[in-house]
Amino acid sequence: MAKRPREPRESDPQGPDLSRRSFLVSAGSAAAGSVLAGGLAGAATAAEAQESTDGRLAGLVNVRLKINGEQRTVAVEPRTTLLSTLRHRLDPALTGTKEVCDRGNCGACTVLVDGRPVYSCLQLACTLEGSEITTVEGLGSPDDMSDVQQAFCDKDASMCGFCTPGFVVATTACLAKHAAPDDATIRHELSGNLCRCGTYPHIFEAAASAASKSGGRGR
Amino acid sequence: MSPTPKWKPRGEMTLLNTGYARLDGPDKVTGRAVYSHDVRLPRQVYARLVLHSYPRAELTSLDLEPARRIPGVVLVEAQKAAGDELVYLGDDSIVAYVAAETPEAAKDAARAVRAAFRDHYPPMVTREQSLSPGAPSITGRGNTSGARDRGDEAAVDSALEGAAVVVEQVYELPIQHHVCLETHGHVVDYDGESATCYASTQAVSGSVDEFARNLGLPADKVRVLTPVMGGGFGAKFGIGLEGAICCLIAKKLLRPVHLMLDRPQEFQMAGNRSGTWVRMRGGIDAQGRLVGQFAEVDRLGGTGGGAFPLMPYIYACETNAARTRSVHTALDSNRAMRAPGHPQASFAQESFLDELAYAAGLDPVEVRKVNVESDVYRRHLDVVADAIGWDAHPNRTAPGEAGADGWAEGIGFGLATWRAGGRPGCEVEVRITPDGAVTSSCAVQDLGTGSRTLVAAIIAEELGLPLSAVTARIGDSDLPPSVGSGGSVTTGALAPALKVAAHRAREALEQRLVPVLGAEVGDYEWVRGRVRVAGEGDMTMSFGEVCALLGNQPLSVRGEYDGSLDADGSLHGAQAARVRVDTLTGRVEVLDMVATHDQGIPLNRLALTSQINGGMIQALSYGLLEERVLDAEMGWLLSDNLESYKIAGPKEMPRLRVILDEDDGRNLATGMAEAPVIPGHSAIANAIFNACGARLRSLPFTPDRVLAALAERA
Ligand code: FES
Ligand code: FES
Repeated sequence: MAKRPREPRESDPQGPDLSRRSFLVSAGSAAAGSVLAGGLAGAATAAEAQESTDGRLAGLVNVRLKINGEQRTVAVEPRTTLLSTLRHRLDPALTGTKEVCDRGNCGACTVLVDGRPVYSCLQLACTLEGSEITTVEGLGSPDDMSDVQQAFCDKDASMCGFCTPGFVVATTACLAKHAAPDDATIRHELSGNLCRCGTYPHIFEAAASAASKSGGRGR
Repeated sequence: MSPTPKWKPRGEMTLLNTGYARLDGPDKVTGRAVYSHDVRLPRQVYARLVLHSYPRAELTSLDLEPARRIPGVVLVEAQKAAGDELVYLGDDSIVAYVAAETPEAAKDAARAVRAAFRDHYPPMVTREQSLSPGAPSITGRGNTSGARDRGDEAAVDSALEGAAVVVEQVYELPIQHHVCLETHGHVVDYDGESATCYASTQAVSGSVDEFARNLGLPADKVRVLTPVMGGGFGAKFGIGLEGAICCLIAKKLLRPVHLMLDRPQEFQMAGNRSGTWVRMRGGIDAQGRLVGQFAEVDRLGGTGGGAFPLMPYIYACETNAARTRSVHTALDSNRAMRAPGHPQASFAQESFLDELAYAAGLDPVEVRKVNVESDVYRRHLDVVADAIGWDAHPNRTAPGEAGADGWAEGIGFGLATWRAGGRPGCEVEVRITPDGAVTSSCAVQDLGTGSRTLVAAIIAEELGLPLSAVTARIGDSDLPPSVGSGGSVTTGALAPALKVAAHRAREALEQRLVPVLGAEVGDYEWVRGRVRVAGEGDMTMSFGEVCALLGNQPLSVRGEYDGSLDADGSLHGAQAARVRVDTLTGRVEVLDMVATHDQGIPLNRLALTSQINGGMIQALSYGLLEERVLDAEMGWLLSDNLESYKIAGPKEMPRLRVILDEDDGRNLATGMAEAPVIPGHSAIANAIFNACGARLRSLPFTPDRVLAALAERA
């Protein structure tokens, strides 16, 4: 890249009136640290990274999980999330559960753990020993869909479909909890999930229609 | 044989013009649909980009060794070298990339890359910084570009001398993000001689050349697959630097490479709708007619040009002038986003016209009707005004007041326009085997709009078959080519090619029927899986029996775009919103939104409703919540995940109503992607004013802004 002539700095980092920007810059360089996106907190030194990574890999643990009715033993690191376990550690992988934010904001990763809807990106797999996990794949198959899944199809509650597995699982959990949820209850129970295409009105319709069909059995 | 088929009258259609479920629904609702993110191939490695978080910094050193020492890491490469300057926040922030056996090891390696930066120049991430006197030039080419003067500003000012009211105001829109739930990324499987590329793209056919170039392969050795994709909204044309890097790694390793952006990276480098600063000056006469309008527009597209259509937007005003330019900041370029520039122009124009109407004590609906040229708009305004309850609304010419509980309710309006129809570029193959299996194929991608289903539906309609009897194959560059999906062209480009192919397939089958049933080609009726000579009693043969006449030779025909089958000219639309404002806290609740749009033939009423709902919801989200936030001093992106960049969720949903325009006489195909996203936030801003007199001139309409606007009224 061509080098441009130096431009005036906003303020002199060594000067007496440190701006916040120059303060953070000089603080950063004092710590000999880079500021890389996503690495603000985790900017370990080389030696630390080496050590901790070795530690993590050496610390692979076997966890027994019951996934969609099947007993599975899977080797995970202590920091491996349930989401990553499903998507990356199982063979074959279960990729119906989606990763969107990996931070508990969107609900695309929602699965049932012992019947409760949880964000699988916020659960460490090693803490779920003995738990029963149900993913969207466990609720039905294209040839044998649950009432909720069928209602999502009938009401056009899925467009790009990337949020859909999370919504299907959350709706299933909602109907397991409420036999005949009203509109406000449906919205409340689904409020942990986001859809960018804008399928919400059709999702609410699907939830209501599945509820009337299954009488709240959630399937 | 008729060379140019025509669409059946709507009333005679049995599948099209009804609402029907999508073909890929069952795969999507059961988690079986495999997106690019979900591709798992033997020996696949996980790649990851390493991004720096300041714009305009100089890289002084880069140490990759710590990353290389991490177990499981197979590749660490520099993208920038010491001495390089990072010019803008975006893909220019990529300093290195890594690949590893597991995503976790790749993450560790990305973290272990040691980079040092110094001499952080002023960040230049806001319009004010870029325009401040003596501001350094971001790219070396000056901080403004594309300046254009149109019309005569002095003539506008003299016209305004005869105006009943004149208003001058500034309207501002922040940068918005696409927020495709599936982030950008690819899996490239390259074996040294050919490659299969799994791409989350809006242009399957259009990506082949780019992959080929980056892999050093001839185009016929590259296959692009996109059976499903998790949203694009305009952000996913081209393979991007992330795609180029994915190709590079694949070439080096000769292993399948899975490279997806994570959410913060997506916000930092994968596209946005340009921000805008608009100053409007103009006036209306006593009847509400615009007598003059001047607009000064700064498009804020980062290092890109930004987007903004011609002013006046939708409304007619003979004496008008506009001064437009791009103001650059040290941010990634804007990309096409659903109706590029239009939602921005809508907000400025619709707010401005509303201000004029109320300033003159006129009904804002009537003022809109006076200033549009097309009767379609007048009709659409009547439809939404009626549905939202405008006539019964107490305050139609002046804003209302809050009740004793502090809440106030109001109604607002906005219009939309887009170009109708498609363009050449789609081809379709229809194949019918003697056992009666029908397959319709096109490389086209389905962004969530329902194009896969359309690929089967138009064939099924023509042959009188149920939708389930036709297999749709899409999302594969080995199939007949397709246009990319942008600017609402997909349906208008694809549907004619499907219709032509369907028509040819039917005529080819009818040729086989001539010796059997005696009637000429074109004189048969295909209904409910059977065929008969037109107008003659019972259905004579089943579709399967007809196909058996093919002997052992499958039938294969192709169709291509035919411009007599898609609409041209303009699309129109009107939307209305009813809101509730808590004048004590500044909170806005949207209660009700209504949309009507002309759409030619409603090819699938259910999918069409979903599209229009989606447009209204994205506009609501833009109006109430969305804003890219940067630290003006450091240049950091602060809104880098969904807890800091909010999009509308279930709790924000109003009642949404879509009223399809049954009076649109065009019996032709057109898409419905851009128009419905254009006016919703403008209607909401106008409804807030109508409710309580708070004029919101900047998005999003957060409680603090509402309270400030209320204080301004007082
Ligand atoms: S991926 Fe888990 S909540 Fe978003
Ligand atoms: S259907 Fe696309 S994000 Fe919900």
